[in-house]
Amino acid sequence: MKDKLNKIEEAALQSAVAAVTEVELQQVRARYLGRKGEITAVMKGMGQLIPEERPLVGALANEVKDRLEAAFTERQEGLRQELMQQSLASEKLDVTLPGRVQRRGYKHPITQVTEEIVAIFAALGFGVVEGPEIEKDFYNFEALNIPKDHPARDMQDTFYVTEDVVLRTHTSPVQVRTMLEHEPPVRVVAPGTVYRRDSDITHSPMFHQVEGFLVDRKVTFGDLKGILTTFINEFFGQNVDVRFRPSFFPFTEPSAEVDIQCVICGGSGCRVCGHSGWLEILGSGMIDPEVFKSVNYDPELYSGFAFGMGIERVAMLKYGVNDLRLFFENDLRFLKQF
Amino acid sequence: MKVTLNWLKDYVDFDLSADDLSHRLTMAGLEIDLMERLGEGLDSVIVARLADVQPHPDADRLTVCQVDTGSETVQVVCGAKNHKTGDLIALAQIGTVLPGDFKIKKSKIRGQVSRGMLCSIKELGLGEEADGILILPQDWPLGEPVFAELGLKDIMYEIGLTPNRADCLSVVGVAREISAMTGAPLRLPEPVVIESDSPAAEKTSVVIDDPDLCPRYAARLIENVKIGPSPEWLTRRLEAVGIRSINNVVDVTNFVMMELGQPLHAFDFNRLRERRIVVSRAQEGGQFTTLDGQVRALTGSDLVICDGVGPVALAGVMGGENSEVSSETTDILLESAYFNPTTIRRTSKRLGLHSESSHRFERGTDVDMVPLALDRAAALIAELADGAIARGVVDIYPKELIRRTITITASRTSQVLGLEISTDDISDKLSSIGLKCDLQTSKSAGAINVEIPNFRPDLEREIDLIEEVARLVGYDHIPVTMPVSSLACQQLPDHLAMSRQVRDQMVRMGYAEVINYSFFNAKCLDKLALSKDDRRRQTVQVLNPLTEEQSSMRTTLVTSLLETAARNMAYRSEDLALFELRPVFQPCDDSELPQESLRLTALLCGRREPQGWAQSAENIDFFDMKGVVEQLLTTLRITRVSWQVKHNEPFYHPGKSCALYQGERLLGTLGELHPEVLHDFDIDQSVILCDLDVDALFEIVDGTVKFQPLSRYPDVQRDSAFLIDADISAQSVFTVLGKVKLKDLESIELFDVYCGEGVPSGKKSLAIRACYRAKDRTLTDDLIQNLHGKLILAMEKELGAELR
Repeated sequence: MKDKLNKIEEAALQSAVAAVTEVELQQVRARYLGRKGEITAVMKGMGQLIPEERPLVGALANEVKDRLEAAFTERQEGLRQELMQQSLASEKLDVTLPGRVQRRGYKHPITQVTEEIVAIFAALGFGVVEGPEIEKDFYNFEALNIPKDHPARDMQDTFYVTEDVVLRTHTSPVQVRTMLEHEPPVRVVAPGTVYRRDSDITHSPMFHQVEGFLVDRKVTFGDLKGILTTFINEFFGQNVDVRFRPSFFPFTEPSAEVDIQCVICGGSGCRVCGHSGWLEILGSGMIDPEVFKSVNYDPELYSGFAFGMGIERVAMLKYGVNDLRLFFENDLRFLKQF
Repeated sequence: MKVTLNWLKDYVDFDLSADDLSHRLTMAGLEIDLMERLGEGLDSVIVARLADVQPHPDADRLTVCQVDTGSETVQVVCGAKNHKTGDLIALAQIGTVLPGDFKIKKSKIRGQVSRGMLCSIKELGLGEEADGILILPQDWPLGEPVFAELGLKDIMYEIGLTPNRADCLSVVGVAREISAMTGAPLRLPEPVVIESDSPAAEKTSVVIDDPDLCPRYAARLIENVKIGPSPEWLTRRLEAVGIRSINNVVDVTNFVMMELGQPLHAFDFNRLRERRIVVSRAQEGGQFTTLDGQVRALTGSDLVICDGVGPVALAGVMGGENSEVSSETTDILLESAYFNPTTIRRTSKRLGLHSESSHRFERGTDVDMVPLALDRAAALIAELADGAIARGVVDIYPKELIRRTITITASRTSQVLGLEISTDDISDKLSSIGLKCDLQTSKSAGAINVEIPNFRPDLEREIDLIEEVARLVGYDHIPVTMPVSSLACQQLPDHLAMSRQVRDQMVRMGYAEVINYSFFNAKCLDKLALSKDDRRRQTVQVLNPLTEEQSSMRTTLVTSLLETAARNMAYRSEDLALFELRPVFQPCDDSELPQESLRLTALLCGRREPQGWAQSAENIDFFDMKGVVEQLLTTLRITRVSWQVKHNEPFYHPGKSCALYQGERLLGTLGELHPEVLHDFDIDQSVILCDLDVDALFEIVDGTVKFQPLSRYPDVQRDSAFLIDADISAQSVFTVLGKVKLKDLESIELFDVYCGEGVPSGKKSLAIRACYRAKDRTLTDDLIQNLHGKLILAMEKELGAELR
């Protein structure tokens, strides 16, 4: 009996090694360990043995069975590994083929630059306000100390809707509306679309500005310099030189034009900066007492500064765009670059 | 405003390089827009004599000239006619590069060698005069550079003057700024007027009818002048600053205007019909011919200079043809006056007539400059045109302009600027630009009374003086500080935050944002086939548009987006996913300002996926865009909306479009474009569009998020396919299914719609998948069978559906 078991074990182990697929291995397993398998048969035949032999043969049969189970499992794992290795060896991608393209969207560069500017001022504690694009003459001009028949009106060629309604020529009317609604302190930026009657490579009849202003007690021209220098260094880089020079806007006094060191040539002079090494980037100034009067702020109590910049101009400098009109042609080949 | 370095040096001594001066002026608020080195690189243009001039043997219009440079004789072929043997001319030698990048080379013209060029004024870049070559004075030294001899080795600065700085519309005004920055004294011209015995007052008179509009009018009579060309120095000086030379008298008036900022006018005295001057308002409806030959219609608000009979000049704007100085003129009445700035501006603006003179008057001239400018011009005319100045000035000044006095305090100055400054420093700064500062008579300590000269009409308030102090100190010297201000929460307003959300979501879904002009031509609405009474045909019109294409404000974003798409298709960008999020403008009956409402218009066409070796080449359809809108609604947490076919925009395909409603409120529309509209926009592929009223969407946004507990029990899915009539909409199926209120029904999904083989015609097959799950237990098969049976029953009873 013992010999028989040994022979069966030997034969089973050989068959297991001979099996080259998992199906064959299953068959081998069934032949020996299945319900009608040879080992099972031996176990079933135990009854015919003398009682003294039974425990010995039983123990032996169980040992053989365990060994075979282990051998089959090992063989099965071996086969799985072999098969996996085979398929790994046969499956091969050309990984240099480009990936499946995902469609992506693009935010217009004007929007991107606006959001970036607004974010910097938000970090400095400025809120955001908006106003209408079609505006009353009062808000666009009169309240900003630009009366009719004043030469300063020539600074901005205006589109009229009626004698008293214009397409706003700047975002400054938002300043007036905001100050009429809120008592100081106010500290906001106002991005928006503006219109001027002008069209060529450097002028567009529609463009965008960000206006900003701060009114509180004891705000000084030095503070204006501080905020705007901080903004410019955040936006254009910490190493960019900034200069403030006198200018004129009817709604600020003193007024300052803010120049940055030319970002194209680094200040050595090029075509973009008109060989001056400087680029005009912002108009600014201390809010004129006349403006305070028209919004019922007490100029003795409060002071403040205001500034405005053209977003297209900033975007052109930031990205090196050379033609303003590209922003409004919406050519995908352009939009996809941002 | 143009000035030259040499001219400035006539009034102030300074030692600044050309670049330094440019920088200093810019930093003082006189921005240099352009700096031009006149005559630079032109030293090889020299003075030479025409030793011989002969006709060209083979060309009628050319001459062959032997040109003596002092050291050699060269042959030059010349096409001008105004030269003769013995003339001194400007010879551009071989190698010279004239303005306009014109290089002079040795050449042969019709067989004759030419070694250089005889130059005209235009070729030298000195002016517009292109007829004939420049003939130089006889006493100039041969071989010397012409530009140096002309005094034209000079620097021209073009200043971009801000409108407040009327005082710098003169060379003297700019020189005053240089004097302030360098400390060198300013020298005004001191004309010596030699008068004849003949008293002017006996021959002419001045009457001012309206002293408000003309507070001062002074005149001098100059007799027996000889009108002729100006001397070289005068012509050059004017041309260097962009003024053409006319004749000696007119040139003097222009010269003095540029020098002192006071516009002057010279009348032909004998053409003044009553030989006198009356300054008055024009007659309403009158006509007048200005010296540019244009007939001008006058109104009662125009100020005119009359000769007792009628107008002879449009005060401060332009003289009249009827009194213009000509070559026959012998006697001159010279006008130097001060006019009300607003009046001049209105007339100039209304007539679209802008002159150097009106430019200055409307910004405010210096009333105190009237006599000096008059004397300066009279003396020059006497000198250059041989005139005799009649004795005395007729100077009518009925309303003397009082010089303003403004008080400035050091404390206020420091407070505004954030700069510590003493009264002495303020006084020094303000005195340097010619203001009279008085520290003694001021009542309070730390205050200065400042008398404002009439050349600074812009200085009206203390703040104006503070600005001058800041400017003169230099903005660079004001310390950089950060404001101290109370904290306040500054959240993005809802409207802005939501537009950002919409924009970001569109970009995430693969759409490219475009920005089109807010203008359009309302005619393009015809292309959308809008009905005649469509609200969007009432547009806000621009009174003064640049072009017809920009004559109205958009009432819809659709047309410009279609134009954008068509333009991109022309560049072979055929797979487009675009959107625009901008306001439209609708006239409003009950408000002066139109209604501005935010819209989102999106456009989709071409392939669903980007092109590539592993991409699907399927084209998009209606449901791609519908999915986008649904996703947006989800993003904004907008629920309880319905899609309806009742409001069909005429520009959509009637069978492939719908509108989005919440209750009765229209939120937007969606559809495939009508083929006729595509045709009109030159688009030859299918385009899907959605057009949403974003403001309406924002009003119904539900911002609250409420958490739903998750069930820990398994779900069971049941699929059923039905045959139903083909014209029953999916929405009615969902409505029916929704009415069967089943507690443990988690979701119903429509996962297949099919018509074709195996489905009888007039029918369609709909397959739904219902998902059942309870919050608190595992559902039994029996229960699910029961629940699903109710759905099937509803389908059968309500819609006549047949279970497949």
